[in-house]
Amino acid sequence: MKPILLSGAALLAASIILVSGMPAGAEESAPAALALGSKAPMADVQMKTAAGSEVSIAGVKGAKGTLVVFTCNGCPWAKKWEARIVKLGNEASKKGIGVVAINANDPSVNATDDYANMVTRAKDRGMKFPYAMDATSDIARAFGATRTPEAFLFDGKGLLVYHGTIDDNADDAGAVKQPYLANAVWAVAGGKAVPVAETKSLGCGIKFRAAKTAS
Amino acid sequence: MQRVRKESGPRVRGDLRASYPPRMTRPLILAPRVALIALIAFGIAACARQPEPQAPAIAARTLDPARLAFTAVPPDSLAAVIASGGAQGTLVNVWASWCEPCREEFPGIIRLSRAYRDRGLRVVLISADFTEDLPNARKFLAEQGVDWPTYYKTGDDQAFIAALSSNWSGSLPGSFVFDAHGVLRDSWEGKASYAAFERRVRPVLSLPELPAGSTDSTTHGKDRS
Repeated sequence: MKPILLSGAALLAASIILVSGMPAGAEESAPAALALGSKAPMADVQMKTAAGSEVSIAGVKGAKGTLVVFTCNGCPWAKKWEARIVKLGNEASKKGIGVVAINANDPSVNATDDYANMVTRAKDRGMKFPYAMDATSDIARAFGATRTPEAFLFDGKGLLVYHGTIDDNADDAGAVKQPYLANAVWAVAGGKAVPVAETKSLGCGIKFRAAKTAS
Repeated sequence: MQRVRKESGPRVRGDLRASYPPRMTRPLILAPRVALIALIAFGIAACARQPEPQAPAIAARTLDPARLAFTAVPPDSLAAVIASGGAQGTLVNVWASWCEPCREEFPGIIRLSRAYRDRGLRVVLISADFTEDLPNARKFLAEQGVDWPTYYKTGDDQAFIAALSSNWSGSLPGSFVFDAHGVLRDSWEGKASYAAFERRVRPVLSLPELPAGSTDSTTHGKDRS
């Protein structure tokens, strides 16, 4: 009986995995997120920054690591976490971590996410790192980013060591118990292993521009 | 014309026209008039049916946002909430009042709920709004005519996400289809059309697959307020 039970359980588990995936057929299906240990994709693609210059992920690479945060101007989650992202980004920039915030949202879906608002937000929030526009949303696609804000932290070798949320309480900075991203950033800056490598949080779906099909 | 004449035949039996002699000559003379009357009646009936109401009548009913059954659901209560309905299938939709794709797909979900509730579907709506935005969520639910209990998320995001699906990235909107035993059978994130929702919930209700690109007209007939 045991093997039968085991194989039945395995079959059931396989069925559950099969049926519970994010399958094709939804209007928008979730892409696979960049796996831990991966290098940053599309790292050489130049993006226009809120400061009016151009930057690439490779261009901001720090000696100790690189932090890429997909965010935007209008999402309430992004706004709740914005001050914490800016504070951490500004501090990390001084400690050998290259930082870039990327807005991949299509402003035709929500005008708040346009370039002019990026300029305003970067200035008003005192961002000392580039806030860049992913003008095709292809960088976000390549990362498998789905929501704002969503962080990807690479170590000094350029390998992904943390992917996920900012901390465990978007709504109340004072009630945060797990500053996941800060812990990961300071671990990388100190040459240590990150304590928690993958986390999740709720967030606004990225408003992807239509993908260009290969001709 | 021929079809109208045929239909008018049996129906006259028993009414005033039943006294008409069943001769060929008289019907031939009357035929154009009968046909004309029938055509006008058909036209009036057709006009009366057009346009069909686009939204269920309940959407026009004014609901008081303050009186909606709208309660907190922490992650550890999610399974109980999903199981409590005893439905053959449960669609959980996580949304927020500020989330445009959520708002866009919402009318389809309301329509789905009304069309399929008699077939065993229960729709559990969970708002992910922040505390200060909950009044907006209530207002939106009232505007949409949601007259059944709904929920708003509290507690840790990760536990909440894990309680629904480990495959969910946390992006809104998120939709999850559970069977009668509370087992997740399907899930997706991003906006979906009514047809997509219908296609995804029918298997758990043991309903046959619909042809691609179509909706079940019989369920539309069951739309109710």
